Amino acid sequence: MPLPVSEVSPPDTPRRNPVDAFFVWNRRLHYYLGLSLLFFCWLFALTGLLLNHPKWEFAQFWPTRVQTRAEQEFRGPEGTTDLARARDLMRQFGLAGEVQWPNAQAAAGPFSFQVTRPGRAVEVKADLATRRATLQQTDVNVWGVVHVLHTFTGVRTTDAVNERDWFLTTIWALSMDAVAAGLVMMVCSSYVMWYRLRTKRRGGIVALLAGLATCGVFVVGLRWLM
Amino acid sequence: MRRFYLLTRDLHLYLGLFVSPFILLFAISVFFLVHGLPGAAGPVPPDAPRTVTGVHMPPGVATLQGRARVDALRPVLDTLGVEGEVDFIRHVARQHRLVIPVRVPGRETTVTLDYEEGTAVVSSRAQPVSDALVYLHKTPGPHNVDVRGNAVFMRVWRALADATAYLLMFITVSGIYLWTSLRAERRIGIALLVAGACSFFGLAYAVAR
Repeated sequence: MPLPVSEVSPPDTPRRNPVDAFFVWNRRLHYYLGLSLLFFCWLFALTGLLLNHPKWEFAQFWPTRVQTRAEQEFRGPEGTTDLARARDLMRQFGLAGEVQWPNAQAAAGPFSFQVTRPGRAVEVKADLATRRATLQQTDVNVWGVVHVLHTFTGVRTTDAVNERDWFLTTIWALSMDAVAAGLVMMVCSSYVMWYRLRTKRRGGIVALLAGLATCGVFVVGLRWLM
Repeated sequence: MRRFYLLTRDLHLYLGLFVSPFILLFAISVFFLVHGLPGAAGPVPPDAPRTVTGVHMPPGVATLQGRARVDALRPVLDTLGVEGEVDFIRHVARQHRLVIPVRVPGRETTVTLDYEEGTAVVSSRAQPVSDALVYLHKTPGPHNVDVRGNAVFMRVWRALADATAYLLMFITVSGIYLWTSLRAERRIGIALLVAGACSFFGLAYAVAR
């Protein structure tokens, strides 16, 4: 298929000046980022739809959850902080994931916490006096897994009790940052590429202004209008 | 074939430009959400509350539930000059009170109604743009499904958020098609595609297995 000149990737010859090199690398950055972030973008777009449509039948996961309960004995736990003690118990029980704390530990009750990862949550209640713990495990299907991947950051803006404490949560959160930064760079590079297409400038301005106006109404406009 | 290519390229360009502010909104708000930044900024003090007396309460408002209660209270909110999306309604039965947080992006208003006395206390709090971005990112969302979308702007936003997801998928698919036409970039593109797939599936497997 013959392509218009503007669509053919420039040959890898030495650039005449830095401006040309910038435009070539801006173009490359656009599709290199797009290709490497493709699956992350699909995940977050799909799960965004799922989160906004919790009634979609095919993606239900909570009614089909599998719950199991077990009791286990333990040693210790060792550690000078609650997190260290929880980590020691998790090691003994073969659990891995993000530790979620209740708002407060009951003074006379068991040492309680929840271990979560996408697809699985385990409620641990460890009686430090008898050295016995109950583990209530909830497993959800693949739709439950992808739901949680969208929101699995280990922190909430409204939750001062919990902090990110699992290294895989940190890596996942950093990958979310990378996808977001990549999308911002792709948008910026697309503006540069579009602006160089003189015949597309007028139509592009209309499309961009329509998007900016619509989005701007929601971000800053509604507080004045309502 | 050439016509299809040109049409795809134009749609990729124009639809991409239209949706780009929305993509920026969702992308920038990720940094606040992933790192819990709005909470770190601390609460903004509310404006001085105002008390309104003689408020006409709809009959049986204390016994209604969910969307029916929101719909019944909407004329009351209109009378009080409070517009926006009702987040939820908390009933404090002992005090004959209904506590109603009402949101628009960038402002949260809390209306406390005493349905026995017919009084209302309205307090409003301005929020920074970052909070508006986070709010828009998270709504309509999976919570309070029965109540969500009780304001017109939220129903429009739901459609726009969906459109952003669909357009993002279209732009990625059309982008792949346009990239396949660039023979010089095919090899490195495939390498990046495979590297992206490996890191995505590898990480998702490690986190969720």
